[in-house]
Amino acid sequence: MDNIAIKLLFTLLGLFIVLNWGLIQAGIMNKIVARVGKRIGMPVYQPYFNLIKLYSKRTSITHGVMFYLGPLFRLSGGVGMFLFMPLIFGSEYWSNFSFAGDVVLILYFQFFGMLGMALGAGEGGHPYSAIGVSRGLSQWTTIELPLTLAIISIAIQYHSLSFTDIVAAQQGGITHWTMWTNPLATAAGMLAFLGTMGHSPFDLVKAPNEIPIGPPTEYHSTFLGVLRTNAAILHVVESVLFMNLFFGGATSWFELILKTFLIYFWSVFVGVVFPRFRIEQSVSWFLKVPLILGILAIIFI
Amino acid sequence: MVAPIYIITIPLGIAFLIGVLGKSNKNIGGMFMLIALACMSFVSAQWFISFMTSTQSPVYIYTAGFKPPFSINLLMGLNEAFFTLIINIATLLGAIYLYNNLKKQGTNAMSVFLGFAMALNVMVMTRDIFNLYVFLEIASVATAGLIILEQGLKSTSAGFKYMIATGIISSILLIGIIFAYNYSGTLNIDGLIEANIGILKGGAIAIFLILIAIVLELKPFPANGWALDVYQGADSGIGAMISAASASASLYVLYKLFAIAGESWYPVIAVLGIITFIASNLFGLKQTNSKRLLGYSSIGQIGLLITVLGLSPYLGDKFEFIAVTLLISHYLAKAILFWISGIVKAENIKNWSNLRKKPLLVALFGTAVFLLLGFPPFPSFFGKWELVMQLANSGQFAWMTAILVGSFFEGIYLFRWFGYTLKLDNKELPEYKMKLNKIIPPAIFGVAAYILGYYSGTFVDAAKGLDYIPLLFIAFIALINFLPAWVKNSISLTGVILYIAVIFPEFDGDLLRQIFAAIFLGGAVLALFAGFYSKGKRSGFHVVTLAMFAGLAMLLKADNLLEIFYAWELMTIGSYFLLIRGKKSMPHGYSYMMFSLGGSYALIFGFALAFVSFGNLDLQSLSGITIYPTLAYSLMLLGFMTKTASFGLHIWLPGAHGEAVVDIHFMASAILLKAGVFGIILVLLGMGTEASYAKYILYTLGWIGAISALIGNIAASFQESAKRLLAWSSIGQLGYIVFGLALMSHLGWMAGIFYTATHFLYKGVLFLTIGGIALKLGTPYMYRMGGLIKKMPFSFIAVLIAIITLSGIPPLVGFAGKWLFYNAIISQGLYFQGIVVLFSGIVAFLYLFRLIYSVFLGQLKDEHRNVKELPLCLLIPIYILIIAIMIISARPDFILKPIGNYLLAYFPSGALNWNGTMASTGLGYWDGYWVMIIVGVMFTLLFGWLLILNSKSKKVKQFNMVYAGEKPFRPETTHMSYNMFSGYNKALGFFMMPGVTGFWNWMSDILHDTANYFRRIYSGNGQSYAIHIIAYIIIIYLIVF
Amino acid sequence: MEYISLITGFIMLMIGLWGILSQKNIIKIIIGFTIFDTAINIIIISIGYISGRTAPILDKAVPVKDAVTKIVDPIPQALVLTSIVISLGVTALMLAYALKLHKYKNTLEINKFKDLKW
Repeated sequence: MDNIAIKLLFTLLGLFIVLNWGLIQAGIMNKIVARVGKRIGMPVYQPYFNLIKLYSKRTSITHGVMFYLGPLFRLSGGVGMFLFMPLIFGSEYWSNFSFAGDVVLILYFQFFGMLGMALGAGEGGHPYSAIGVSRGLSQWTTIELPLTLAIISIAIQYHSLSFTDIVAAQQGGITHWTMWTNPLATAAGMLAFLGTMGHSPFDLVKAPNEIPIGPPTEYHSTFLGVLRTNAAILHVVESVLFMNLFFGGATSWFELILKTFLIYFWSVFVGVVFPRFRIEQSVSWFLKVPLILGILAIIFI
Repeated sequence: MVAPIYIITIPLGIAFLIGVLGKSNKNIGGMFMLIALACMSFVSAQWFISFMTSTQSPVYIYTAGFKPPFSINLLMGLNEAFFTLIINIATLLGAIYLYNNLKKQGTNAMSVFLGFAMALNVMVMTRDIFNLYVFLEIASVATAGLIILEQGLKSTSAGFKYMIATGIISSILLIGIIFAYNYSGTLNIDGLIEANIGILKGGAIAIFLILIAIVLELKPFPANGWALDVYQGADSGIGAMISAASASASLYVLYKLFAIAGESWYPVIAVLGIITFIASNLFGLKQTNSKRLLGYSSIGQIGLLITVLGLSPYLGDKFEFIAVTLLISHYLAKAILFWISGIVKAENIKNWSNLRKKPLLVALFGTAVFLLLGFPPFPSFFGKWELVMQLANSGQFAWMTAILVGSFFEGIYLFRWFGYTLKLDNKELPEYKMKLNKIIPPAIFGVAAYILGYYSGTFVDAAKGLDYIPLLFIAFIALINFLPAWVKNSISLTGVILYIAVIFPEFDGDLLRQIFAAIFLGGAVLALFAGFYSKGKRSGFHVVTLAMFAGLAMLLKADNLLEIFYAWELMTIGSYFLLIRGKKSMPHGYSYMMFSLGGSYALIFGFALAFVSFGNLDLQSLSGITIYPTLAYSLMLLGFMTKTASFGLHIWLPGAHGEAVVDIHFMASAILLKAGVFGIILVLLGMGTEASYAKYILYTLGWIGAISALIGNIAASFQESAKRLLAWSSIGQLGYIVFGLALMSHLGWMAGIFYTATHFLYKGVLFLTIGGIALKLGTPYMYRMGGLIKKMPFSFIAVLIAIITLSGIPPLVGFAGKWLFYNAIISQGLYFQGIVVLFSGIVAFLYLFRLIYSVFLGQLKDEHRNVKELPLCLLIPIYILIIAIMIISARPDFILKPIGNYLLAYFPSGALNWNGTMASTGLGYWDGYWVMIIVGVMFTLLFGWLLILNSKSKKVKQFNMVYAGEKPFRPETTHMSYNMFSGYNKALGFFMMPGVTGFWNWMSDILHDTANYFRRIYSGNGQSYAIHIIAYIIIIYLIVF
Repeated sequence: MEYISLITGFIMLMIGLWGILSQKNIIKIIIGFTIFDTAINIIIISIGYISGRTAPILDKAVPVKDAVTKIVDPIPQALVLTSIVISLGVTALMLAYALKLHKYKNTLEINKFKDLKW
């Protein structure tokens, strides 16, 4: 904190690393999914090409102010979460701006991007985007339930809502991780994680294959580029969130990359194995096993 | 002074004179009659004033110069002066009202009317029991004569039943009298008191017969079918006389004869009275004929007065005050109601909407209804208050309950009727004329109700601190009702601002009241400012609005429980009228009133227990309840929760608020609900957490709050009407507040008070914008809107900021509430309640998105292409609220720090630690200022970057989009709004099953079916009524002896 | 023997009451009332009666100075006078009512006049 400029530089550097890791990770995951399906798949660097292509498109249209601002909100949401998230435990400079708030802040800042995005897509005037948003919000409410329970369970366990304290308490080997000391909360949290990442079986919101649906329906060129950029950042930050909460945090960039990869892989793995839920199915699903796990996590803490 | 004997001789003489005049001199006869009645009133008034102002001693009048027992004597004391005064005024005004009817029937009718008035006077004044019998008979015969003033089958058959009934009753009285004479050897009442014949078996029976005859004259349940038929069959002018004048006289007779009977008779009489009170109000529920309904109400009120008489040993020195205020209220209200029923000439209460054609009649009707039910500023308010307090003081809780239950039944039908009057369609109904002589009497009584209300207040110690200046201001606004809305609006606004300047310094150093004052009175200013949008007269709007705000201000100023209750009831009246102004709000205004009425009775019961425990009415009494404390606190919380619309008591809110227009919606939701919060705060401060019962109450309260939050938010997500959506959202938000307060900790209360303040801000914005848009587009349904961002950019920005705040997304201030909740829940271990609250907070996203998307985004409808931005008078209040939101978003410590300091006095532990702008608890930390800066800087930087990236983007037309291979051409087909969260509904829609509404409907059905079943004893056969009377006497005899 | 009029009075009272409560014809009910009233008058007088005394009329038979010991209680007798007047008025009014009721429905059955109920 003594030198705000240095802190800013480190933060930007961190953002750069996270962005690139996010893009590479997306490439790797695509490859894995393709191989599971007995396909060759696209190259690992494809996400970079996609970004370059999107940013250099010649045509770009907008439906109005909110449409224009939607991706901005979305990106701010991703970047903001990154800013409030401490990355490397024990490092003053890699802790970003986490002094401004604790877990609760991150939890609610997630919605900043989602809301902006939803509104931007809404102004596009396309009914499919509104359908996507309504489904997404429905699903989110129930995802949050086990997640909240897990976080409260952890907060009770560590008597703190601060990332630094939570990660500090987990230092000293795998037996100190929340995963080990509070398996029920971890289970609830990791099931909720499946929902937050939006892979199958919870990808009805975006429905990537059959029909164009969901917020990105009307977005294209630079707007879509911004969204893709954000997706890369957000996937890593979400993984970092769960890493900090359940898997002992990270003391080095290597550890962070390894752990986030594995956490992310969990959602991809499930997505490859299971088919898609309808929206009422996924809403009810989160209110069954994950909710019960979350409640048990609080009872048996 | 004029001798009291003239009260009797004048009417007697004039009656004979009129008889002599013959049929050709009707006008002169009429004049004589009125002069006679005026003289009688004057004599009574003169005596009454001299008794009140000087040490005038009572005067006996002896006939023929002999003293009793050799002669009949009359007494003129304070009581007699009072009763003859009210009787004479009622008969004078009644004669004015009936002038044309009497004239039509000729001079004989006038003589009969004078005889009727005279008989009542003698009944009051006489001290001779046989004389009493004689004049009772004269009054009966005169009444029977007056009943057929309006000739017809109904009045004639009713009159005959009346004759049968009174014939039997007076015979019973006569038998009683002769036996009393047999045992005492005197007919003089004072002599009878001395003889104390009650100790003899035969003497006791004589007394029983006398008393029961007088009670039967007062129409007790169930021996009162004849009276109901008379009320229904006779002209309403006669009904007014029977209900106001005869009943007052008979009541006084009962009071007089009580002295003979002795104390053992008090409980018997009280039981007979209360049975009548409850039963006849219960039976009134199914009644649709207006005059018969008035009959039920009249009999019920008399029952209440008999009860008060019977309970007098418990009432101490307040007995007279209670009896007089209740009697005078009944007297004024019933006379007004009967008189206006004669003007409007509508038999069925559903046809009373005709009344609306004359605003004066509506005002009188409303006055009478609120007067009957004991609302301020009327005398009955103080009477009922003292009655309940004194009963509680004597430990008579069962009597309190019974009286409150009976009053509640009365409220049910009176408010239903009033709702019909205010809201039902009146286009088809016939025209009627409002003749001057028919409107003057009720108008005089209406004015008298207000004056006497003020006057009775001066007799109650606890009411001495009441501030009547706002009420005078309201009265002034009522007088200028004919002016256009903007004039009244400006005057009201000035008045409110001046009042704020006066009242605000009074709360110096009391942060809680300052916050609520800012919400109530600041809200009043914004609401009145928004009110400039309306054109025309807006008849009555300002009166009721100001009444509500006056109530709210008084609530804050209140120093004792009576003042709180006064303020609470005043606010209820104002808000009832505001809420029922909506187009289809009749059932909702009605259910609002039912819950409010039930709530106020719960409150007064709780207050009474506090009063008895503590010994006086100070606010501290709330903290020391020792008698049934669980019940007392629960009742008070229930009472206040009717206004916060908490789960179980919430069913009135969505409809009532959903139908209200923009500024009323703002007042009702953003401001009015907070009154309940204030009340809950007072109760909880009093209760504390120490006592053993407190734990259970708080636990229940916490769940009520949490469930309200959940139900409110889920229900809001499934609404199609934007206004109903906001209404349900209010239920949810108030649930948060109740939950926060139920935590009873520093953080919980901070969250609760903080939500109270911010809910006012962001919900205020939403109510004003969405309400304004609904008004402008002429529909509240969101699927009829869409794409309005292009037409109303300022409204859009306001709504956007409001919903970000509401949903608790950082960096805006709503997040503070969520953060406080997290910390409070974890540190107090109330996880599951807390999870429900946090979950409902997330459900809020559903309806918020729906609201902003369906209204502002998506496709603009063709019919809205020419819609303009909201008017400035709405935008200015909206943006004042937005500015406040932004300021406390940037510096939440501005509001949280003072709240924290204030709460230290009550909850010293668990406070927030402040390090500059960073707040921290033992668990977490949060720096609202830095979050704002970080997000602001980041957003700006990214915005700049995006501006560069997207510089080439082009704006396109509405339908230029990818849509399954074709271009849509109608906005409706591409606006996804109807049944938006269908998937969610499939999964969680069971939460929306209207179970609570079903429960209350079931209760209401049971009540009405009971009433309908038992009222069939009134078969309409005069002979059955006679059997009822005889059976009544026999049964009571068997019970008593 | 001195109670005979009192007992007669009560028997008549019951007869009158029976008439009022059981007869369906309005005129008969009114007759029941007159019997009822008469019975009450008899009761009043019999209560004022003191055995072996004479009517309270001051004439040659009852000089003023020993009136107190020779006459029965005069007050009930005075009361009866008033009472008779009243019952006369009431009966007259009832008959007038009966007349009117008959005009409306051409019947005197009290069961037929149940237009107002509940």
